[in-house]
Amino acid sequence: MKDDRLPLTVIGGYLGAGKTTLINKLLTDPRGQRLMVLVNDFGAVNIDAALLESADEDTLTLTNGCVCCTMGADLFMAIADVLARNPRPDHLIIEASGVGDPAKIATAAKAEKDMRYGGIVTVVDATNFARLSDDPMIGDQIKAQTACADLLLISKTGSIPPALRAQLSTLTGADQLLAGDVQTVADLLITPWGWPGTQLFSKPHPDYVNWSGTGSDDFSRAALREKISMRPPGLFRLKGFVRGDDGRGFLVQAVGSTVAISRIDQPDSTSLVGIGLKDRVNTEECGTWWQAG
Amino acid sequence: MSDITVFKAKKIITMDPNRPAATHVAVKDGKILAVGGADCAAQWGAFETDSSLADSVLMPGFVEGHAHMMAGAMWQYAYSGYHDRTDPDGKLWKGMTTIDEVVASLKSYAATLAPGEPLVGWGFDPIFLPTERLNRRHLDEIAADRPVVVMFSSFHVMCVNSAALEMAGYDEDTEAEGILTDGNGTPTGELQEMAAMFPVMHRVGFDFKKLSQEEDSIRSYGRTANRAGVTTITDLFATITPESLETLLSVTAEQDFPLRIVPTIGAMGAPADQIAAQARELAASSTDKLRLGGVKLMTDGSIQGWTARVKWPGYVGGQPNGIWNTAPEQIYELCEIMQREHIKMNIHTNGDEASEVVIDAIDAAMRKHPWRGARHVLQHAQMMGADQFARAAGLGICVNLFANHLWYFGDQHAALTIGEDRAMRMDACRSAKDAGVHFTIHSDAPVTPLGPLFTAWCAVNRTTMSGRTLGKAQCLTVMEGLHAITLGAAYTMGMDDEIGSIEAGKQADFAVLGSDPTAVDPAALKDVPVLGTVLGGRVNLL
Repeated sequence: MKDDRLPLTVIGGYLGAGKTTLINKLLTDPRGQRLMVLVNDFGAVNIDAALLESADEDTLTLTNGCVCCTMGADLFMAIADVLARNPRPDHLIIEASGVGDPAKIATAAKAEKDMRYGGIVTVVDATNFARLSDDPMIGDQIKAQTACADLLLISKTGSIPPALRAQLSTLTGADQLLAGDVQTVADLLITPWGWPGTQLFSKPHPDYVNWSGTGSDDFSRAALREKISMRPPGLFRLKGFVRGDDGRGFLVQAVGSTVAISRIDQPDSTSLVGIGLKDRVNTEECGTWWQAG
Repeated sequence: MSDITVFKAKKIITMDPNRPAATHVAVKDGKILAVGGADCAAQWGAFETDSSLADSVLMPGFVEGHAHMMAGAMWQYAYSGYHDRTDPDGKLWKGMTTIDEVVASLKSYAATLAPGEPLVGWGFDPIFLPTERLNRRHLDEIAADRPVVVMFSSFHVMCVNSAALEMAGYDEDTEAEGILTDGNGTPTGELQEMAAMFPVMHRVGFDFKKLSQEEDSIRSYGRTANRAGVTTITDLFATITPESLETLLSVTAEQDFPLRIVPTIGAMGAPADQIAAQARELAASSTDKLRLGGVKLMTDGSIQGWTARVKWPGYVGGQPNGIWNTAPEQIYELCEIMQREHIKMNIHTNGDEASEVVIDAIDAAMRKHPWRGARHVLQHAQMMGADQFARAAGLGICVNLFANHLWYFGDQHAALTIGEDRAMRMDACRSAKDAGVHFTIHSDAPVTPLGPLFTAWCAVNRTTMSGRTLGKAQCLTVMEGLHAITLGAAYTMGMDDEIGSIEAGKQADFAVLGSDPTAVDPAALKDVPVLGTVLGGRVNLL
């Protein structure tokens, strides 16, 4: 059992928040994955020249597709070009423009059958978020970028100021990490996961909780959706295959608050795996949820 | 054989106040040598008289300041709109005023295609067909054995048939915003916004960018303009690559290519100084018929999509304020750098908050980098009031007003978007003129059809589709309307030294008309027949 759809992760955040820095760091340690990056502001990005040189040609492609009304067609056609590549990259990362809505881009991964939603990471500049989010001109767009995120990376600070943490919590329940913690972003979103039955990470990681569950119940789509929606909020990713009550099975992929359920051949048994940050979730909680009637 | 040709016309409306009307125009080397009577060229030596236009009325070739190359290319696909429209080859496509008519028309179109070839329609606008929503079942009637895709005129929504849904893998298990479903979760066929549309678009090979870069598209643009009496046109927000530049240069250089094109590159997706550098580099490739070097900035969205940034009191339906496609602080930066680098800007602003930000940004840029002759142009500028026009005039900013909106969307604006008070003074040509702003009016083709006489008719009559006059106080006179589509447009494009009027020294670019637009009832201005154009003295009749 595998999922060979192309995962798409969208990086959002206002101008100067640190989207490029994050992308550069992800490229430094691509976790054995052939990453492809599409950026909106070609040139402004300053993708590290050394990375460009060391990357083989499939690792990195830049385009200047922009996401505005009909002109947004450029970006989506660039995604179509990526899908047509042979071999296809393992993971696509798109940097939204400073005022772009990452959710609008990420929707492509939900609609396109050859793609999989791979999360939205929004970078928040700790020094100016309060002011920007209150700006009568762009405040609403700034808040929308934040509200749709699965992970928030807080930049330009050594620790997340409590007032900022509180304000962000009113916008989204997404985990708030320091921008320097690129490791976690890569672990949660880029590192290829083992499927049920294989090991999640090459070695145990102290910061994460790994959970796996099996079962013999046959689910209807509605019942499965209901069940998944009740999962512990700290279970950042959840995936696996579930037996259906109509002779066909379900493939489940959940990232942050987004759940995607698609149809597959009926698996022999139901099997799910999940990970989350240790300070947000524990295995008992997960087990209780999964076992609940 | 003489190198001077004197064209004889029934009447020549010159737009030159020194000689408002004439019957003859002498042309040498593609330029106007003299204007007047039969002997106007006598003092310049021997000449030949060309009587092929003797029964026509000549005007300066019309100048369209806001259109897109796609206007010609869209005709590769099946027209599906509500209004009558003429294709680049002169074929009239009757407007389809019911869904049944759309289905019948596309069905006959499908019969012309190869088996299995996708059928793509365009120009459909549900705003005019409010009784029933177009869905997959309608399109399945057109064809079940090929994908059928109908792109709406906004380009933000499409409807597709079951075969196309199947191609994209859309079914009751697909869950994504923009894929509309019925009560049972089955897709209705309506797809909203690019994310939901692109899985179908790339599978049927419908690519906007390619549409604007192919040789056929450029030629088709030329024929479209020729039919509308247009001799100079913009292509705003062009993407120009080294290859597409080569294509543009070679097609426009063809002797019988009947159009001067002014492409402006999109100021997006790169830092301001890089965009300026690209514009400057492109400017060096300019030719007589291809004028490069300008840029186009995006700011807000559209009023009818409720994405324009509007000032208080906002939208009548209580919709939230629109969106910025370029952040205000980036607008400031772009304006400053373009002003510093002497790059002419065309700036999309629909809502009045967007036009205000841009005026502020240009004001700030001008304080730092004086450039009095910049003639930056606010494009659309649909909600600008007298106060903003006064500021624009003071700063030497030009505007290009979207007069066609008055007819196509005027009723909707009054009822559904910005309400009566501001709809009455939308696209305020009179206010612009009174404030002393140099202005022109436009079609935004293919959003609405290219046709400067129609556009002038809109500005003169301000008639909406329901027949009301939307803001009588803003109506132009016929002569003012004609000025806006000739010399007014030329001024905004910084080309009034060579086009826009019929006077000695300018390019011999003419619109060839079947009757005198100044003699017809102003309500019939749009019906004045266009017989073709003359470009650089070369006659291109339809």
